[in-house]
Amino acid sequence: MWAMVVKEFRELRRDHRTVAMMIVLPVVLLVVFGYAANFKVHDIPTAVFGPGARQAAALLRPPTFRVTQVDTAAGESAARVQLRDGQAVVAVVTGGGGPLVLLDGTQLFSVETAETALASAVPTAAPGSPSPREQILFNPDLTTSWVMVPGLAGLILVFIGTLITSLGVVRERQSGTLEQLAVMPFRAWDVIAGKIAPYLMVAAVDLVLVIVIGMSVFHVPFAGNVAVFALGAALFLLVTLGMGVLISTVSQNQGQAIQLAFMILLPQVLLSGLIFPVSSMAAGVRWISYILPLTYFIQISRGVMLKAVPISALGEPLGLLAVLAVVVLGLAVIRFRRDLAPAGRTKQARAVARAGEPAAA
Amino acid sequence: MRWGLEDVDVRRGRNVALAGVTVPADPSRITVVIGGDGAGKSTCLEALTGLLEPAAGAVYRPAKERIGYVPATAGLYADLTVQENLGFSADAYRLSGRERSRKAAEILDRTGLSGARRRLGGQLSGGMQRKLAVGLALLHSPELLVLDEPTTGVDPVSRVELWRLIGQAAAAGTAVVVTTTYVNEAARAATVILLEAGKVLASGTPDDILSGVPGAVGRAAGAGRPTPLSWRRGRSWRVWAPAGRLPDGVQPVQPDFDDAVVIAALAGEGG
Amino acid sequence: MAALAEARGASRRFGAFTAVSGADLAVTRGEVVGLLGANGAGKTTLVRLLLGLLRPSDGAVLLFGAAPSVSSRRRVGYVPQTLGLYAGLTVAENWAFTATAFGNSGAPVAAGIAAWRNELAGSLPLGVQRQVAFAVALSHHPELLILDEPTSGVGPLRGARLWDDIRQSADQGAGVLVTTHNMEEAEQCDRLVVMAGGRVVARGTAAEIIGDRTVAQVRCDDTTRAFALLDAGHLPVQAHGTTLRVGAPAAAVSGLLARGGVDATIEVVPANLEEAFVAMVAGQEAA
Repeated sequence: MWAMVVKEFRELRRDHRTVAMMIVLPVVLLVVFGYAANFKVHDIPTAVFGPGARQAAALLRPPTFRVTQVDTAAGESAARVQLRDGQAVVAVVTGGGGPLVLLDGTQLFSVETAETALASAVPTAAPGSPSPREQILFNPDLTTSWVMVPGLAGLILVFIGTLITSLGVVRERQSGTLEQLAVMPFRAWDVIAGKIAPYLMVAAVDLVLVIVIGMSVFHVPFAGNVAVFALGAALFLLVTLGMGVLISTVSQNQGQAIQLAFMILLPQVLLSGLIFPVSSMAAGVRWISYILPLTYFIQISRGVMLKAVPISALGEPLGLLAVLAVVVLGLAVIRFRRDLAPAGRTKQARAVARAGEPAAA
Repeated sequence: MRWGLEDVDVRRGRNVALAGVTVPADPSRITVVIGGDGAGKSTCLEALTGLLEPAAGAVYRPAKERIGYVPATAGLYADLTVQENLGFSADAYRLSGRERSRKAAEILDRTGLSGARRRLGGQLSGGMQRKLAVGLALLHSPELLVLDEPTTGVDPVSRVELWRLIGQAAAAGTAVVVTTTYVNEAARAATVILLEAGKVLASGTPDDILSGVPGAVGRAAGAGRPTPLSWRRGRSWRVWAPAGRLPDGVQPVQPDFDDAVVIAALAGEGG
Repeated sequence: MAALAEARGASRRFGAFTAVSGADLAVTRGEVVGLLGANGAGKTTLVRLLLGLLRPSDGAVLLFGAAPSVSSRRRVGYVPQTLGLYAGLTVAENWAFTATAFGNSGAPVAAGIAAWRNELAGSLPLGVQRQVAFAVALSHHPELLILDEPTSGVGPLRGARLWDDIRQSADQGAGVLVTTHNMEEAEQCDRLVVMAGGRVVARGTAAEIIGDRTVAQVRCDDTTRAFALLDAGHLPVQAHGTTLRVGAPAAAVSGLLARGGVDATIEVVPANLEEAFVAMVAGQEAA
């Protein structure tokens, strides 16, 4: 019936969150896809070492390669460290026995692009000379699952942390029990910590499960330090759980919470480097990935599991996650406290009377 | 007054939610705040329990551990069983092991929920849910019991049982404050506060309010509204003449409490 | 006078569960009938039978003298407890939707609610929402109105105003059926049909239903102590302002109070509708 159609449109017009999802989201997705989705990689960070470094560097031309370091004094070990710590994706070691090209096997698309470029670059520049030896480190067979599993672990944590936590808190608000908690002898911190703790534990168990399955079914290695991984995971969880609580403070019901969580989840899937490499995203879009916690967790999880990156080289992602955790959790606690306790005390009002004292009449 | 609101103002943003409101709460007495939707009843209770701070005036209340509060919605966890709900409340108020089992048994008995220990809160009927919620608030023997519209939407039998619980709490020395939209519940109170648009229109015992009716009240038949200050009671009309002179054809009548409340609201509207 | 809506010995079963059993009910023009009962007593099912949304398992249901149908439903105005308004639409838009649905598109918004025509229905206070919902239900001039707890939650003055509107439509010839479990609403009706456990357990005016039931009214200085004594003695006692009302013989009451050393005056007074209803339902459950 026409009356139904008109009514439905009118209602929709006022439901801003849904309209945002239906119109704004596709536009954003399209723009993002356009600029971010790029399987072809440019600006591959490349380090060149060894006596013939300068000549080799000349062959590694932009836009494919971006030479970050030319060091004639250093050799293979330095190159391996560069790759391990993520400073470079390709390292060329010139010198005795012919040039050796080391490639970071965790960067699947970069490696593919680099190999293709090299295959044409060398014969062009020095025809007749033998092709340089290539060695793919960390993920020699370029197995996709090895790269995806650490990323998926992060995605799952984001899902649980943000969506499920926000639902759990909103449910309390919706049912009216939040008000009651505020009047019971709980401190605001008791309620917040009490609400977050179970989700923290479940997420931790989930993480272990994903990693164990990844290792046993897909044979993903765990080359690095478990403690470092745990630290990264803990910080990351604090950020995502904090976001869950924040979402709950701006949502009146579970439907709204889901919509908001979804809108926050989607960019993380696309822009965190889970699928498309961050380095290949257009600069205009790349800045978004730098503020997403998942980006940094993926660096940590891939680094520790596949490359055995030591904690010293993970300072940036760990530090940024820590900062994010403080900011997000801090905001969440402040907003949540307002729901649980009145804001400040005014001069005129006074809450009086402990048991046994008559009030001044 | 022992506990309560004294000349309290509350502002929400730019709106004045309460203006100069006094709601006394004394041990062993039941105070009922009656008003329509949006009158400010819940706001009174939020100020009383400390959920919000007044802009002016004084609030007297005991420490958190001595208050029992049931908000207008819920008051219990739907996904926990009756027993688990009791456990949570006991934990929150730090009841000792012996006290906890004794009080829980007493509450279950008084609310008639002994047979439903293992039922989920969400599976109870509306009336049973409310009784459980009030029971949870009474578990720790509070000095001040605050209930926001506890009987709205509840079936008549459960409503009577809820008022029995409330009466028992008062008899045991608790100060009880209840909000409602039902006039016949206000008649049960020792102290009635009639609230409208954030202002107190009348306060006192039900007898006080009844005797405080100014002018004369009459009864009229017929289809047309006799005067602007008339309202329907069944088929006939009730007419209020503030100055005391009823129009012709209107039979004078002794006002009852329902009349008194409507008149106070009408008087407040003009004022 | 022909009944607008009628149930004759109507029953409705859902599997093994009997929601309504042998119900008789009739609503005629110009009267306000109250269907009083707790939730689960069968009120909603009976209303659904009258509207033809359910078929009776036994007995007969007539709407405007014939079996209920989609076209006869058009002559009914129904306001459920949830009001049936779209919170995200303005009053005018809600009005337009209903008017169009009943083939009345273009009808102007009723004068009584015109002041709020551009307000979002969801932003209005409950009392005004009920007024709007009522006006919208009346917009297609139904001959029968079925209202579910029309004044619940709105407070004394607004409630009285709403009853003005309801009575006016009855005066203008509509028949009104009010379903409720609220004694105040019940007392506003011309006559009541009381349901419990799917059956009609009483009918008549409020006074007829109360019959000669009485309670013992207690006045004393120390009502707190009196309450405690009577409660401990397992008598059904209710606090009532400065008095107590006890649903028990006066002798039992005075005996308990005297033994407890409380000095009180006890008067036997008629029960009110709530007390009569509860006694009736408790008796029904015991039966």
